[in-house]
Amino acid sequence: MKYKDYYEILGLQRTATQDDVKRAYRKLARKYHPDLTKQSDGEDRFKEVGEAYQVLKDTEKRAAYDRIGGQWQNGQDFRPPPHWDEGFEFSGARNEGSANPDFSDFFEAMFGGADTGVHSRQREMHTTRSAHDAKVAKDLEGAYRGAHFSASGQDHHAKVVVDLADAYRGAQRSISLQMPVIDAQGHVILQSRTLNVSIPKGVRAGQHLRLAGQGGAGLGGGSAGDLYLEIAFREHPRFRVDGRDVSLDVPVAPWEAALGANVTVPTPDGSVEMTVPQGSAGGRRLRLKGKGIPANPPGDLYVVLNIALPPANTENAKTAYDTMRQAFNFDPRANFYG
Amino acid sequence: MKESVTTYLEGQIVEEDVEFTFVELCRASGASEEQLTMWISEGAFEPQGPRPEEWRFSGAALRRVRTAHRLARDLEINAPGIALALDLLDEIDTLRARSGRSYGRTA
Repeated sequence: MKYKDYYEILGLQRTATQDDVKRAYRKLARKYHPDLTKQSDGEDRFKEVGEAYQVLKDTEKRAAYDRIGGQWQNGQDFRPPPHWDEGFEFSGARNEGSANPDFSDFFEAMFGGADTGVHSRQREMHTTRSAHDAKVAKDLEGAYRGAHFSASGQDHHAKVVVDLADAYRGAQRSISLQMPVIDAQGHVILQSRTLNVSIPKGVRAGQHLRLAGQGGAGLGGGSAGDLYLEIAFREHPRFRVDGRDVSLDVPVAPWEAALGANVTVPTPDGSVEMTVPQGSAGGRRLRLKGKGIPANPPGDLYVVLNIALPPANTENAKTAYDTMRQAFNFDPRANFYG
Repeated sequence: MKESVTTYLEGQIVEEDVEFTFVELCRASGASEEQLTMWISEGAFEPQGPRPEEWRFSGAALRRVRTAHRLARDLEINAPGIALALDLLDEIDTLRARSGRSYGRTA
């Protein structure tokens, strides 16, 4: 188990006042909130900040945490000393519902179950590949915290990461979901299940797929809730996606750009032939209409020409460059300084 | 080995094929009816239909309501603040898309 330095996470001294704690938390929460930042580690940072705040905003938990001492470093291997929390009185049911998917082992060991706070209702999602190379999403859904009683099951949400090619062709994927359920003893446990889902052709990142009746079970004979899968595309080294449009850089030789050429361009669904018009400048965007995501209407594929220079690493190549220099009265910086 | 036939669940693309009623949208987003009512009165969401019982929301509203719900929950933002935040987030998206188109994006 790794020690968590909650003060360091919030950028605070150990002497910080409760007002300082709140201010630091609010500032960092705005900075890292997954809806407000595009930073890829935003969600993790947001959870970490939330966990730190859960402890430090609560004077009882903070006092118990402080008692462990300040000699530990963030990330250091840590074992809680025996009876470390002796004599501390915690509000709330400490030993019930201790599975909080969002918090660290450290938090669970020290304060497990003591919170009823904001982040306990957050959901967390991980995406990995299963042994069968199926696309796997694990949804750690906080729906069990739902406050109101209802006969119908709750609607659940999970994220699924698919390949761009799946949106071009449609695909069938096995998705593994984990969600907290309450067992007979009232404890929260994570339950896994696998769903086989058709990914419809033409789906775009950020869209939701609704699977009727696959959400939380209904109570007292009520109907089950729905499951919403939010679609994301796995990062692709070549293709960039903007809504239904897709773009990619295609390297061309200087003479192809200058004289025109036919080149083969890869798309997420096979290759196409494309004409590079003569006199193309580097960075020119060429549109292949309808070759984007096959939604209705379909998106376009944008090819950005990237002029690649052959290396001057042989005598012949050097001569060729020198011939070019003599053939052109060319100053690339003619209008550069003025 | 025994061959088994796997059936794959067919979903609906919410943004294209789904329309929500007020109650359905609350249920799907996790927002309370009171919250959503306040956000609507701030103009953050504009349902079709004259009366709340007849309101219809486009599927695309789900994403925005979920964002509003998370922001309200995590940062304790009130209804006018939510409306402002959603407007600003829309504007950021528009600007980002525009700058991505004109300059080309680094992956």
